[in-house]
Amino acid sequence: MFLEIIEVFTSGLINGSVYALMAVGLTLVYGVTKAFNFAYGSFYNLGGYFAWVLLIPLGVIGGYFSVFFMAIPFFFIVGYLLEKVLISPLRKYDDWEMKVMMLTLGLSLFMDFGYQAIFGPRIKSLPGIIEGTVQVGEVVLFQQDIVIFILSLSGMLCFWWILNNTRTGMAVQAVAQNPAGAQIVGIPKDFIFAATFAISTMMVGFGGILLCQKNFVDPMGSTDIMIKAWVITAFGGMGSIRGSLYAAFILGMLEAFVGWYFGMIHVQIATLTLLLVTLAIRPRGLMGRE
Amino acid sequence: MSLKRMILTLCGFYCVMGIMPLFFGGTDYIMNILIMILIWAVVASCWDVIMGFAGIFSFGQVAFYVIGAYASAILSVSMDIPPVFSIIMAGVITGLVGVLVGLPCLRLAGPYVALVTFAVHMTLVPFLRGPLGRAIGSGGSQGILTIPPIKLFGLAFSSDQLVPFFYLTFFLTIICTLVLVLMIKSYWGTAFLALKDSENFAASLGISAFKYKLMVFALTSFITGLFGALYAHYVGMLSTKMLSMDVFTILMIMMVIGGIGKYPGVVVGAVITVTLSQLLAPLGMYRPLIMGAIVVVLVLFLRDGIISPIIRLLSPLQRVVVEEE
Repeated sequence: MFLEIIEVFTSGLINGSVYALMAVGLTLVYGVTKAFNFAYGSFYNLGGYFAWVLLIPLGVIGGYFSVFFMAIPFFFIVGYLLEKVLISPLRKYDDWEMKVMMLTLGLSLFMDFGYQAIFGPRIKSLPGIIEGTVQVGEVVLFQQDIVIFILSLSGMLCFWWILNNTRTGMAVQAVAQNPAGAQIVGIPKDFIFAATFAISTMMVGFGGILLCQKNFVDPMGSTDIMIKAWVITAFGGMGSIRGSLYAAFILGMLEAFVGWYFGMIHVQIATLTLLLVTLAIRPRGLMGRE
Repeated sequence: MSLKRMILTLCGFYCVMGIMPLFFGGTDYIMNILIMILIWAVVASCWDVIMGFAGIFSFGQVAFYVIGAYASAILSVSMDIPPVFSIIMAGVITGLVGVLVGLPCLRLAGPYVALVTFAVHMTLVPFLRGPLGRAIGSGGSQGILTIPPIKLFGLAFSSDQLVPFFYLTFFLTIICTLVLVLMIKSYWGTAFLALKDSENFAASLGISAFKYKLMVFALTSFITGLFGALYAHYVGMLSTKMLSMDVFTILMIMMVIGGIGKYPGVVVGAVITVTLSQLLAPLGMYRPLIMGAIVVVLVLFLRDGIISPIIRLLSPLQRVVVEEE
């Protein structure tokens, strides 16, 4: 019993760390650009397929190392172009927030069925980043899980450092606080919007590469991921990076324990209940700004 | 849009719809499209009232539709309640669910409402397929296969005879459309416009945002549930496939084509979208792909929907009618 709890706990921790990576990307994009991205889960799947194409049919040299190396420019460019082509033209309308939601929902449908058309409806499995196990006392841990945990944590720390220590990162924060003020002091607002979108795409793409090793690449699984990322963001407070960090781990644990104790089918119901109760008590989430 | 114009446009539309069976009564394919147009037109109108007039980002419209359908199906299959009553009960149940969702939801800021309502939609699938759903009679992943047809005054309205069913739907559609038009043009509708323009100012005039939003949520979910139930008894079987993103997108395309908050617009949107989706049906899994692309393109390039150009085209005609009165 005790051992099982430890196992469930580690799986919650690992899921939580990857969710944190993805949710931070989402909360960033909402905090800065106020765009509500419903296609987020499809980018997660894009990460999975990106790794699959490189590793299985192409058999790229260097394995996951080169996948990550190529994923950075790929996702940055995809995110940047999407913002420039699809989202920024909508900004001139009054009801652009609603239009962005609709557009990204359509985009997510297009992407999901695009994957099905290209790769077929069957799920794909990715090879593990590293094989083997580690034994600590009586607890057996997969090395893969440890690597995923470390990679997502370091990805997040890297992001934290960029946001707080580089000029671009500080510009992003300035735009989040006051877009008009940022523009007055000479920050190119449109570039920051696109760059933020690109960074968040990069983070969710990474999340896809990391988590799809454990959960398979499922062309229809994107709405599930999207809902999870959104629930975490709303639960933590939209636009609050620290809030979504905590929320990601709380929900990762909740998912692991509810799935273990009651069965996976109840996970979504439990998540929604938690979200509704939290929002009823604190309408802006755990750490949302008033 | 003025009340007169709105009613004239709707009257014109429903008169044309009403005489359609005289020409196509024998063709089941076209009759099916016409019935679906009537059903979707009302569901999309409800969504337009929520999103466009009340300004609530509700993404739970399909969820309410499915709740209504399942409620009526379960009531009539498991409890042997005659479909006429079960449809009304399904509407009431959906309205109650709408209030339950609305109570926590409507105090939240815009995007949170979208998220929570959409989460309700996503949770319905595991709920209906899981043990909880099976306990109340949802049939799990198989769905409900033997939903009885509607019987009224000894007549059976089912998918075997499409013309009577068409007129039953037509009758209900007109009643619900009238209710919606009256609502938009009543004190309620004006209150919503005021709330949308400036919530603080409207509140200072004594308009309670929460009360009106909850009321419109209850009313639209009642109507949506009613039509979901009607649909259930029309097709005779239900499964959780109705909750797929495919259906959601079709509803959304109606809104985008018709224009958000341009009320009779969605009705035209429903005509175009239902026809289009039926024509694309042989493409199988490429249909949602194309539908998704259509949404992206339409949102980018169609600013206010197509109702405004149509109204402009028809305005000489309408002027003649108005002057004659």
